Amino acid sequence: MPDDRRSLTTRLTVIQYVIAVLFAALAVGFWIFQVAQHTRFAEMAAENHLRRLPLPAPRGVLFDRHGKILVENQNSFNIALLREQTRNLDQTLSTLAHATGVSAAELRETVSRRKRDPSYRPIVLIENATRAQVIAVRARRWELPGIEPREVPSRYYPTSDMAAHLFGYVSEVTEAQLGRVEYEGIESGALVGQAGVEQAYNKFLMGAEGNRAVVVNSLGREIEELEKHEAVEGEPLQLTIDADVQRAAEEGFRHAGFNGAAVMLDPRTGEVLALVSQPAYNPNNFATGIDLKTWKALIEDKLKPLQNRALQGIYSPGSTFKIAVATAALEEKVITPEFQVHCGGGASFYGRYFQCWKQGGHGTVDMRRAMEQSCNVFFYTVGNMLGVDRIHKWASALGLGEKSGIDLPNELKGLVPSTEWKRRRLNEKWYAGETISVAIGQGQVSVTPLSLAVMMMTVANGGTRHTPHLLKAIDKGKGWEPVPAPAPKSVVKMRPSTVTAIHEGLWRVVNGAGTGGRARIEGKDVSGKTGTAQVISLTGARAARGKMDVRHHGWFVFFAPRDNPEIAGVVFAEHAEHGSSAAPIAKYAMETFFAKKEGRPLPTLNAPPAAPVPVPADEPIIIAQPTTAAVGGP
Amino acid sequence: MFERRLYFHIDWLLLGAVLLIACIGLAMIYSTTYVHLPGGGGRPGPRFWVQIYAVGLGIGALVFFLAVDYRFLAEHSLFVYCALLALLVYVLFGGVRAGGSTRWISLGAFNLQPSEFARMVLALILAMYFGENRRGARNYTDLIIAALFFLVPFFLIARQPDLGTAVTLVPVCFGIAFLAGLRVRLIVIVAIAAVLLAPVAWKFGLKEYQKERIDTFLNPGQDPRGAGYQQIQARITVGSGGLKGKGFMNGTQGTYKFLPVADNDFIFSVLAEEHGFIGVVSALGLYLFVIIRALEAARLAKDRIGAYLVGGIISGFAFQVIYNITMSAGLAPVKGLTLPLMSYGGSSMIASLAAFGLILNVRMRRFTN
Repeated sequence: MPDDRRSLTTRLTVIQYVIAVLFAALAVGFWIFQVAQHTRFAEMAAENHLRRLPLPAPRGVLFDRHGKILVENQNSFNIALLREQTRNLDQTLSTLAHATGVSAAELRETVSRRKRDPSYRPIVLIENATRAQVIAVRARRWELPGIEPREVPSRYYPTSDMAAHLFGYVSEVTEAQLGRVEYEGIESGALVGQAGVEQAYNKFLMGAEGNRAVVVNSLGREIEELEKHEAVEGEPLQLTIDADVQRAAEEGFRHAGFNGAAVMLDPRTGEVLALVSQPAYNPNNFATGIDLKTWKALIEDKLKPLQNRALQGIYSPGSTFKIAVATAALEEKVITPEFQVHCGGGASFYGRYFQCWKQGGHGTVDMRRAMEQSCNVFFYTVGNMLGVDRIHKWASALGLGEKSGIDLPNELKGLVPSTEWKRRRLNEKWYAGETISVAIGQGQVSVTPLSLAVMMMTVANGGTRHTPHLLKAIDKGKGWEPVPAPAPKSVVKMRPSTVTAIHEGLWRVVNGAGTGGRARIEGKDVSGKTGTAQVISLTGARAARGKMDVRHHGWFVFFAPRDNPEIAGVVFAEHAEHGSSAAPIAKYAMETFFAKKEGRPLPTLNAPPAAPVPVPADEPIIIAQPTTAAVGGP
Repeated sequence: MFERRLYFHIDWLLLGAVLLIACIGLAMIYSTTYVHLPGGGGRPGPRFWVQIYAVGLGIGALVFFLAVDYRFLAEHSLFVYCALLALLVYVLFGGVRAGGSTRWISLGAFNLQPSEFARMVLALILAMYFGENRRGARNYTDLIIAALFFLVPFFLIARQPDLGTAVTLVPVCFGIAFLAGLRVRLIVIVAIAAVLLAPVAWKFGLKEYQKERIDTFLNPGQDPRGAGYQQIQARITVGSGGLKGKGFMNGTQGTYKFLPVADNDFIFSVLAEEHGFIGVVSALGLYLFVIIRALEAARLAKDRIGAYLVGGIISGFAFQVIYNITMSAGLAPVKGLTLPLMSYGGSSMIASLAAFGLILNVRMRRFTN
């Protein structure tokens, strides 16, 4: 069978060749993948198993002036999505929604909002997840590829809503902020301060995000850590705030049942001891991601809890403005402290009759008595002698109508009119008659509570308008380094006789027969002044009756002790009808301040409010429309 | 039965190459299944030890099938064939079920997969039929008889279901038929018929998951996390290896389970990743050497039975090697088909080594009568 044998041999050779060709083709195929396209596949392999995970940095802790912790961090869980690891995003989100009870629509919304982030960056789907949610997600991790619970530091405000406006809050950096210079280097999804100190000192507080490069397997489970850059915690800041004074001021508001604002300063330095705005919000709600419902409730609340009334509320100063007028008159030597005016219950200026609040009048009063009694006729007269521009000059020197320069964002300023202002703004001449109502803090005059506090500080220390500030010291890793106080906004050397006379008048308001008796503290020589700010005009009030609260706001501005003052400030009580109702709030805060300083037990408000010191009289409402000149008359 | 002088005719080169491939496989299994303990250190995974036992048993089988004269086996091939069919039938009713199919017989300590031995048994009976009874295969009758020998185990295995293993019987048939002189025209006709029947088979014969596999092969990008995932991961694994590879035990694709069944179907991908193109070419060279060298044994065989036996076994072997390696580069639809001599799997290893025992047997006895 040689023929057969030959055929077999041939066919074996054929098989050998065929197989050899196929092997050669395989080699070419591998060459294409492994050599020609190696770079591309090597990158894909690295993307598969290498992850760079951000390590959020704890924010700097905030301390009060005595070293008490005000704001700190706690660990919370969030549930994040790693898009690279999900196979079916839609289904994963549905499963997650089912497991955690969060609506799937909300989850999808979050994902689509962050669609343009680099895909390796985790998207936080549920912030501040409950234990039950974390456990539910862990239990179903096989159905939830790319979903992982992570422990993160989150901001914690141990005193809940205390000093909320002062501390501010943190939340995810917004699209608009990302484009701005001061947010350079901050990546989408980072938490930044959005108000208060958190915003003002965000750069110090934020620290630096760290990251970890890890190897993960196909389920996203971490196998090995390749490198780790620890997060750098934000720098601790010491604030000028005294936590007890702050708490006392807020308790005072709650106890009295008012909303409003209060600012207390150290008149020697401009340090802010307390800064209150009521109603407040709870910044803890923001720390772990605020839910839509809470947010809506906050922005739709008619009481505007997010507004920092101390810096952003603009109100008529009422009689507290008389302090600025008195200062102007004495410093401009228009009058001496002994200058006397007869008050017969009203007086005529430029053909109009302006009432004093006291029917029948105060009789003959000097500056001190006029201050004590808040006599309108005296200040009409003095204001008329001064003219609006000199009032403007001194009101500005005391900080009214100006920004205080406090180290908090979004401060607004009030207005003290002048001829210049009226010409520029309304292109109209100033009428001397308009000055009369300005002289008692009516008309176009408007202030922020903070600016009144600045006025009291400046009057208390004799003319130095310190810049109110909150930052006392910073710890950059080597212990507390004091931060130098910012330069004063302006310094006018008030004459000692002026200072003495005004201090005397204000002392009498509280300790004499004035309207501030409810702020009296034995041995502390509290000096102050009440004021009343109308909410809307008298005619408007009639129209709005029953639809809104038209009761007047009460002011109490103060410093203590009269000689060498250590605390100065303002209490603004919304709808308190009268400034005397604001005085007890100031009193309680001052009592706390002095008790703490002298090492005595701090006062409490547990007892029912003490019987009010009899208030001699009420102040009048003179002006109907703030934007018009003085009205009234016989 | 075993004469001393036969010892001198053993093809040590082929045997060495076969064992070398098995050792490379062991190394790759060691690498992919190595258990890293937390805090450093680690130990070989249990599959490594199982594979070592399998190689040991396989060498035993190799020695057995080398020692017994292949002619004796061929003469009793019908009995062996029937025994295989009995086992395959038993598998369908009393087999061990795992991963959606029933392929194994439980033997207590381990499970045996009879289908792995089907290629060898089919080669044996077809070699016997064509080599002894006729002067080659010339006509349709021969083809139909051969087809019957082939179809019975084919359907029994496909029923498990294990289409991959069943399909490897096809090249065994064609290899032997071709060597036995089947007209090329006839082969072409059968091939055309197969192509025409493919749509019918697609419609009625294939299960959903099988359709899906072929579908994704044609279009792997459409669902990268779905069924096409394995294919893309296979390409990444191979491609990221580069020229020199990432180094032994430095692969990431298999170790971190991006590539499924890395120690089994995709072991060659892991080899490509860790040892690069150089490793691939070396391994391909080894396989090619084994195949060419084995076919030399067919050329040297003293009778047609021997030649057909070797040809049949090597056709099946070469088909499986080429298909698996193509698949491991993501260039063929994913099928549960192992790489003979390398992949993890006891039955596969034992059957492969036993088959090479037969090949060595044929060459060794080329001078005996």
